[in-house]
Amino acid sequence: MDSQAPAPAQHPKYAWPEKPRLIGTRVSRIDGPLKVTGRAKYSYDILRPGMLYGRIVRSPHAHARLKSIDATAAEKAPGVKALLITIKPGDKVLYPGQEIGALAAATEQQAADALRLIKVEWDVLPALATVEQSMRPEAPQVFTPANTRRGTAQEDGNLDTGFAAAAHTVEGTYSTQVQTHTSLETHGCICEWNGENLTAWVSTQAVHGTREGFAAGLKIPQANVRVITEFMGGGFGSKFGPDIQGLLCARVAKAAGAPVKMMLDRKEEHLTTGNRPSAFARVRAGVAADGKLTAFDAQTWGTGGAGAGSDYPLPYIYTFPNRRRTHTDVYINSGQQRAMRAPGHPQGCFVTEVLMDELADRVRMDPMEFRLKNLPPLAPNAMWAKYFPMGAERINWKSRHVTGDPTPGPIKRGLGCSANRWGGAGQGARAHCEIGSDGSVVMRCGTQDIGTGNRTIMAMVVAETLGLEVNQVTIELGDSNQPFAPGSGGSTTAAAVMPAMRVTAGKARDALFERIAPQLGVPVDQISMGVGTVLVSLSTRDPLSDAQSAARSGQAPSSRSISWRDACRLLGTIPVSVDGQWERGLSAGGTSGVQFADVEVDIETGITKVRKIVCVQDCGLIVDAKTAETQCYGGIISGLNYAVFEERILDRNTANMVNPNMEWYHMAGQSDIPEIDVVLVDQPERGVIGIGEPPAVATAAAVANAIRNATGVTLRSIPITPDRLLTELERAGGTN
Amino acid sequence: MEEKDVSRRDFFKTVGVGSIATAVVAGVREGEAAQGPAAIGPGDAPVTLTINGRRHQLQVEPRVTLLDAMRTRLDITGPKRVCDRGACGACTVIIEGRTYYSCSMLAVEAQGKNIRTVDGLSQGSTLHPVQQAFCDHDGLMCGFCTPGFVMATVALLEKTPNPTPDQAKKALDGNLCRCGTNIGVLKAALSAKGVARG
Repeated sequence: MDSQAPAPAQHPKYAWPEKPRLIGTRVSRIDGPLKVTGRAKYSYDILRPGMLYGRIVRSPHAHARLKSIDATAAEKAPGVKALLITIKPGDKVLYPGQEIGALAAATEQQAADALRLIKVEWDVLPALATVEQSMRPEAPQVFTPANTRRGTAQEDGNLDTGFAAAAHTVEGTYSTQVQTHTSLETHGCICEWNGENLTAWVSTQAVHGTREGFAAGLKIPQANVRVITEFMGGGFGSKFGPDIQGLLCARVAKAAGAPVKMMLDRKEEHLTTGNRPSAFARVRAGVAADGKLTAFDAQTWGTGGAGAGSDYPLPYIYTFPNRRRTHTDVYINSGQQRAMRAPGHPQGCFVTEVLMDELADRVRMDPMEFRLKNLPPLAPNAMWAKYFPMGAERINWKSRHVTGDPTPGPIKRGLGCSANRWGGAGQGARAHCEIGSDGSVVMRCGTQDIGTGNRTIMAMVVAETLGLEVNQVTIELGDSNQPFAPGSGGSTTAAAVMPAMRVTAGKARDALFERIAPQLGVPVDQISMGVGTVLVSLSTRDPLSDAQSAARSGQAPSSRSISWRDACRLLGTIPVSVDGQWERGLSAGGTSGVQFADVEVDIETGITKVRKIVCVQDCGLIVDAKTAETQCYGGIISGLNYAVFEERILDRNTANMVNPNMEWYHMAGQSDIPEIDVVLVDQPERGVIGIGEPPAVATAAAVANAIRNATGVTLRSIPITPDRLLTELERAGGTN
Repeated sequence: MEEKDVSRRDFFKTVGVGSIATAVVAGVREGEAAQGPAAIGPGDAPVTLTINGRRHQLQVEPRVTLLDAMRTRLDITGPKRVCDRGACGACTVIIEGRTYYSCSMLAVEAQGKNIRTVDGLSQGSTLHPVQQAFCDHDGLMCGFCTPGFVMATVALLEKTPNPTPDQAKKALDGNLCRCGTNIGVLKAALSAKGVARG
């Protein structure tokens, strides 16, 4: 999902209210109490009667051919109920952790013991652990047809003209690391068969997509599969189907005749469930003496692991009138990449934004003024020129010194900025709403809340539409037996589901009015919604419209109100029961935002302390200001990790990950968290747009530019760890 | 002054930044070495655990952690298994007033101790003040780290009812969140009131 043009102006029947009562306010998460008490049951927490524990048999090697495998001892081991080998002699594996079988045993300990009894002999083959190894002319050919795949050049304008117009050029190689999703709840599921029907509790971002995945993988009808995800411990783009472990879990459960829980451990999670590809860019860019960008020429490459792509948008946001870019996917023997929180954008943003600061220095311009000079024109989905000055005010940009803090002593302060864009449009969600005669409201939608607050904003929209409070609405989600909704990726969920909530609740309201109108003895157009009440107008709005009204035209207009419960009681035994779906005009795509960083670098230790981040971000119509703000905090912290902490490190000889855990795979702790100042810009006229990914894009670039501003040295590679920063400071001769 | 001659940076360069490591000296308590603990296992052994004021008797292998015993045998699933090696804090419980990673303690070790988990904090439908503060300040997203953060906050506030921001951050440094809820978590820790000494 890239940025998209705003939706054309529409006048939908169930348009958003002009003066909302709940939408845009700060509402606490409705599932908060369940989560803070431990009562929320995640897939990992499900216990079923007679449940067994599954483990995956995996390759320890990055590249190897199977000679033999003997699982007889494991099959006879205590507690083992089923065992399945999916590899045969002669087959090859292409990354450490690749799945070659599965087993299920009565306890986790027995499953782990049995796993160790499987005797496997391998021909270990030469492996590619780095992009450099893979790109060497003399590298062994590991992948078919080649270790690399070169894309076609993307060109616009005329490079020669562009560079001829340049007063200055910058040349450099920029890079970003591989990061893993590191969702706290690992991938996995519980599979339980009832005859030919499968129920699976899965940690997934897509209950319907996962049902399809099980059906296709197991060759059974989709009607036989039910996928449930009531609560879900993070996915960030890595959880969209049953995966190999899900299908193996279903198969061993079938073989064992018992439910099986198959949750991956942390190492398996790091190795095999996705990552953000690395990015490298050899760039040459030109700028004219007046500060206008003239040319951009880049060779880029990166790795998404064994046979997966690594492309990303470049150059990012700013207008280079003449440009050329060629990308090459480089394959190495590691687990494949998957979509990760704004796929591609943090990479493109980092490369472009650091380059922008270097170019600004060449023409001796303030980096923000330089950006303003080179931005695309203002548009609803391109508001950077307005947001940069807003953020500058809040970070105190006027206190910024030129590159290199002149203050004596080891502690250097610096400021940096950057911009982001994203799509966030969605569609296709369906829902079902019931209003009972006791006034209860149930909304069912087969979407999922992966931690964003989806459940809460769904309840807000339904409550707004029916004139109720949030706690009067029951939201049921996370079950493939509910009406279809798309997977939660690309920040599309809010834009897909909120229109479905609005339309379906609106239809339910209309149906309620139709049903009770005869009993109230008034035409349906004399009934309207109050707050917790149904209002009955005692005269029509236009007394001349029909003869009946004309008879009453002498009366003064007045109305009476009936409580919600009393109105619903008129339904009798048959509830209101309606279906609805997403409609155009209530949501859109295309967001923009800027971020500023204020950092402090100790040039003796190389340690960066991020003091403050300012974020100015829009997301169309803001539904819940509270959870939208938290999305920004979360994205920024994820960008902070990308900037200075986290990195997947592979052993350069074996291609095995050396930090497949959570102590050497570094993430920010509470003491590393800066002050974060979020300005959410409401654009109610655009409708709902997603906000899960946009705030995660720009942070790393803003931090890198602030470090550059503080220290005077340019780090063209993240994460900016103390060792890398000290090395660069040493090369530059320090700043003292 | 000497400090001027050797800057911190020079010091690190001398010893090598990558090689600063704390030497861990494994010590064996002498009494234990002489007598040895009573041998149990390798099969199931009887274990009695007191969790949230209730006694539970179960049979588990001695190698089973407190976390796994609670989760897989007692259906106490508030504490989460995330890193399973004492790095992330999602399995945090309180034992005798201080926090423990229940993934890094064996069930047999936890016998005779008063173990508190997030599952036992609320009184019916009334949330503990720390739980309420997490809800009010949106100190949670996916919620998988939340039980650990809540318990670490409870342990902090029972000892230090009015912590400074630095005290609160330090007390929560043993817990990791991937969604990035830390801003709300800190607000919750600094605003929760009325936490009695446990």
